[in-house]
Amino acid sequence: MLRFPESSLDEDCTLEEEDDGLIQEEDEIDQFNDDTFGAGAIDDDWQEEHKRLAQLDERDGLGLGNNIPGKKCTWLVFSDVEDRGGEGDLAESLARLILEADPAIAGVGAAERPGPSPSLPPGPSPSSLLSYQQQQHLLRRGTAPMAQMNSHSIWENSMGFGPVSVTPGLVTHMEDSPLMSIIKEVGLPKRPPQSRNDEGRDLSERVPPPRSSSPVIGSPPVRAVPIGTPPKQPMSHALNHQIHHPTAVHVRAPVQHRYPPPFPERVSPNTLLNIANSPLCRGPFPPGVGPVLSQIQRAQLLNSQVAGFPHGGPAPPLLPGGGFRPFFGGPPPPLGHRMGLPPPHGPPNHTPPIRHNTTHLHPQHRRMLTQRMQNRGGDRGRTGLDRRSRDPYSNLMTQKEKEWVTKIQMMQLQSTDPYLDDYYYQNYYEKMEKRQERERDSSKKEHTTKLITPQVAKVEHTYRPVQFAGSLGKLTVSSVNNPRKMIDAVVTTRTDDEEKREKQVWNKRRQILYTVEKMYSLLLEVQDFEKRFVQVPEEDREALLEQHKTNTLQLCNSLREWDDRVSDEQCVMIMSVRKGKRLISRLLSFLPSPQAAAIVMAISRNLPALAKKDKQDQVLCWLVEPISAVIQSLSSSALTDLLQELQGSEGQLATVLHNKFGVTLLYLILSEGERMQSSDPNCQLMDDNRWTELVFSVTRELLSVPASSLSSPLFTPPNLLSLFSRYVDRQRLELLQDKLQ
Amino acid sequence: MQLLFYSFFKSLVGKDVVVELKNDLSICGTLHSVDQYLNIKLTDISVTDPEKYPHMLSVKNCFIRGSVVRYVQLPADEVDTQLLQDAARKEAMQQKQ
Repeated sequence: MLRFPESSLDEDCTLEEEDDGLIQEEDEIDQFNDDTFGAGAIDDDWQEEHKRLAQLDERDGLGLGNNIPGKKCTWLVFSDVEDRGGEGDLAESLARLILEADPAIAGVGAAERPGPSPSLPPGPSPSSLLSYQQQQHLLRRGTAPMAQMNSHSIWENSMGFGPVSVTPGLVTHMEDSPLMSIIKEVGLPKRPPQSRNDEGRDLSERVPPPRSSSPVIGSPPVRAVPIGTPPKQPMSHALNHQIHHPTAVHVRAPVQHRYPPPFPERVSPNTLLNIANSPLCRGPFPPGVGPVLSQIQRAQLLNSQVAGFPHGGPAPPLLPGGGFRPFFGGPPPPLGHRMGLPPPHGPPNHTPPIRHNTTHLHPQHRRMLTQRMQNRGGDRGRTGLDRRSRDPYSNLMTQKEKEWVTKIQMMQLQSTDPYLDDYYYQNYYEKMEKRQERERDSSKKEHTTKLITPQVAKVEHTYRPVQFAGSLGKLTVSSVNNPRKMIDAVVTTRTDDEEKREKQVWNKRRQILYTVEKMYSLLLEVQDFEKRFVQVPEEDREALLEQHKTNTLQLCNSLREWDDRVSDEQCVMIMSVRKGKRLISRLLSFLPSPQAAAIVMAISRNLPALAKKDKQDQVLCWLVEPISAVIQSLSSSALTDLLQELQGSEGQLATVLHNKFGVTLLYLILSEGERMQSSDPNCQLMDDNRWTELVFSVTRELLSVPASSLSSPLFTPPNLLSLFSRYVDRQRLELLQDKLQ
Repeated sequence: MQLLFYSFFKSLVGKDVVVELKNDLSICGTLHSVDQYLNIKLTDISVTDPEKYPHMLSVKNCFIRGSVVRYVQLPADEVDTQLLQDAARKEAMQQKQ
């Protein structure tokens, strides 16, 4: 333990300063010296030496102002050199060494003490470079014969810790002053030896504090239950402690100091358990006691328990009072979590069901999943169990812990508006429900289970950025809740007159897509209107209704021109994109009847163009269903108009027949007309000749068109033949029949 | 909250999917569960491509962190693309507000 006087540490030590420092803080040096030289240090010799050297000092009149770098190492040297084993001998030998080595001093030494040890060389021999270790060795041995000790080299070496090449010349002129200074240092501490006793009390301060006896590696155990600890289990507090803080390795040492080791090594899990439980029954250790079982040990313990069960063994006698493990008595799974292992007295071949962590599955979904698992579980029952019984890493967490972790995860997924947040899932299963209802027999009367999603009350969080009262400015803090604009981007429409054709086309397409998207958002709002209407409280209903009307109006207007007629151009434009066709097909069901009819008219009017544009996508048939719905709501005159539109100009019908959608549409119209005629005797269809004429032309076209160019419709209405039978003779009817097939 | 794809994957729980990771490993398995980070748990997994990943032979179930997934291959008939588009539109609308 080296304690340097403060001054010597900080600066390059000049001897004078050191001197002063040393003189002033002799007390410290004294103790220090005591430490380094030990109790057995013989003071007398030192004092004598000191006197001798002091005389030498006066005689030579050495300047002591030489700055020798690295002086502070000398203390180090001394302590190292001393090597506490050597004690008095060492000090003596050291002094001798110095004296002998230095030619100047040697002379003095020789004068004063005529009998240096004959083993030591009489005079300076050529400097030999000894390594520091060698020197140390020599020093330790004390009177070992030594080659010329280059005194300077000793001290130099001490600094360098290795062989030092010092030119003799350098040595000769330097050797005095460092040596002197060293001796001064050496001598000085011994000057007031008697004051040492007074410093006995101070010793304790100087000595480094006793080593901290807390061997806890890592953070000390937290006594208070921190936020978010897993639920308390009816097991020992100590064990709980371990579970809560698996990271803090509590060394057994402190426990052993105070208590006998609670669990000896190599104890069977059974006895372990008994031991563990008996303190439970008696009364727990004070909370400071470290845990008794590591996580792995506990897992192993439980594994050994579990391993017993699949063989259908009896309930273990190890479990006292059912308190140790909630393993078999878990709470009923909340919120439809399928957590929790089956009780062991279930079918022994049954692998535990895979727990799905998703909250709130649709009951059908759940049914599907359980079916799946049952199908698969049977095959793998045996092998799975074997595997499990040997798995050393299972049961590291208790059931409750697992549930707790899952609950945390799932809590984040609770939403205030499930319809919005969970749109896809909800609608998907709604559609499935509808599909199933349709497929089911009405006689079966099974109720399809509906999905009821629990809703969490919405808590309004208004974010207010940090503000300080009385401050002039506002903090510019950008965070997740309050993102800062990085760039102020301003949208400028291009006013370039000269645009290339391609660009024009692209722009138009983009424009169309943009329009379509806008309409889609309106459409979605309209679609959701009903649902929201039901949910929203009374006061808001009117507002919602208003909004709904506006939306619908907007939708209608987007397809119209300024004079309230449906814009053909707009319709065609929209329908040129696949998305647009989808949009229209969905839109038709929401539009008011006249509007819808107008659109269908527009479609049939422009069918050839649309057919051409649809060549690539072939998705016009999406429109069949909504259009058929519209057609069925048409009046007879409207229907006739529609048929007329479809036929349109010369040659249009041929194109129509060539296109699948066209054919389907045509058949739909005809079928509807027939239905009207046959069902309602007062039908006005036949009032004017238009209908008849139109049907005639259709039949003509059908007959003339080769069968190859007549595309097959999506479906053929059954009453077409009866329609045609009114207008054509049998021969033609048969031909038509063939064509229709 | 970005729950669009969480909702989407929830409807695929129980179906067989192939997950391709960014380290080029492809894992085929049954989708067991998914969370809001699109971490995926698969059961009954098998490495689809040539078994040049033999260390996966003994693994039956796995948990895949969402950020390492490159692709998820789905059965086409279990997906309603129209509905997905609508969901995306709704989410976009929500974010605008």
